[in-house]
Amino acid sequence: MNKRRPNPKQVTDPNEPLWRSTLRVAMPLNLSYIPIGLACGILLHAAGFNTLLTGLVSILIFSGGAQFLIATMLTINSPLLSIVLMLFFLELRYALLSSSLSPYLKGQSNHFLFIFAVSLNDENYAINYLKFATDKKWTGKEALMVEHYSLLFWAASNVIGSLIGSTLKIDLGIVNFALTALFLYMIVMQIKNRLTVVICLISGVLAAVCMMLTKSTLGLVISTIIASLIGFFLETTLRKHLPDSHWLWKLRGPGAKKSVVENTDE
Amino acid sequence: MSAVNTWNSTQHFWLIILGFCVAFVPRFLPLMLFTKRAIPEWFNEWMKFVPVSLFTALIVKDIFIDSASYALILNHFAEMLAAVVVVIVAYRTRSMLISVVTGLIAVFLLSMVIA
Repeated sequence: MNKRRPNPKQVTDPNEPLWRSTLRVAMPLNLSYIPIGLACGILLHAAGFNTLLTGLVSILIFSGGAQFLIATMLTINSPLLSIVLMLFFLELRYALLSSSLSPYLKGQSNHFLFIFAVSLNDENYAINYLKFATDKKWTGKEALMVEHYSLLFWAASNVIGSLIGSTLKIDLGIVNFALTALFLYMIVMQIKNRLTVVICLISGVLAAVCMMLTKSTLGLVISTIIASLIGFFLETTLRKHLPDSHWLWKLRGPGAKKSVVENTDE
Repeated sequence: MSAVNTWNSTQHFWLIILGFCVAFVPRFLPLMLFTKRAIPEWFNEWMKFVPVSLFTALIVKDIFIDSASYALILNHFAEMLAAVVVVIVAYRTRSMLISVVTGLIAVFLLSMVIA
């Protein structure tokens, strides 16, 4: 999407207060956090975490994957060091996320960056990246509000899940699919040309191979680095030698005229 | 899953603090570095491909990789079909909420039929 079209929602309602427009952007994520957060709270309860600590872990670590990992590793009695090491490898991917957001957060104070980094995670990154890339008016302030909304819903769902504890039984595989669906949606929104589709396929195969080889989520980091580098080199080469290549043709979906995140409500 | 763990709350607390450190450093350091100095053009061009690559990798992990043994699993047919449904719905509607809700309903119904 090279041409920037005016955002219909902001034209129709210019006086909407900031807290409400950002909440509107964050709401789909907030809602999908509820079942996953509940599930995570229930799991942490089963692993022996009390409610206060469940609240603390969901605010301080704020990562579905990491908290599921903690719960799983505690139930199989892993030592502290190996849990922390696994967490480290799991969280390494955030280096890539925050690197790719950094062009949009230039000139922000260290204090802001500190607060922003604390509540950054995969899902609110996905929303903020999309907004930064498509909405000129989106700034660090709005992005931070989205992060805090999602943090609030996540922590609250975790605490409630911990309180419900063992009384409720849910299929975690199904609940976890909410996140998978969210990522699928994000990919569809990011597809710009045929090359991107190719990179997706390469990345998918690489991810499977790397995770099977490393036997850890470190494979995610390795495959992401390799696949994005391949994409970068392919695009640079194509632009230089075959600027008319059909691999660079833009793909446009039926709804692409509309701004991407705004029509998620109603 | 039964509560077989024998850790007390103090140990849980230290796990959280250490977990916070390893979660925070990778999120903060790149922001700190790359917002302060000029970013070369190639770096931006490269970073453009990070989201799609990462999201695809995460999806592959969710659908095709066993979370305990990291072995390849190819029998999650309900998730695979539901993923195709989500892609189609996302492409047609461009709505995050509709995509996620349809995906959840699809995987729920499909896993009842297939399993």
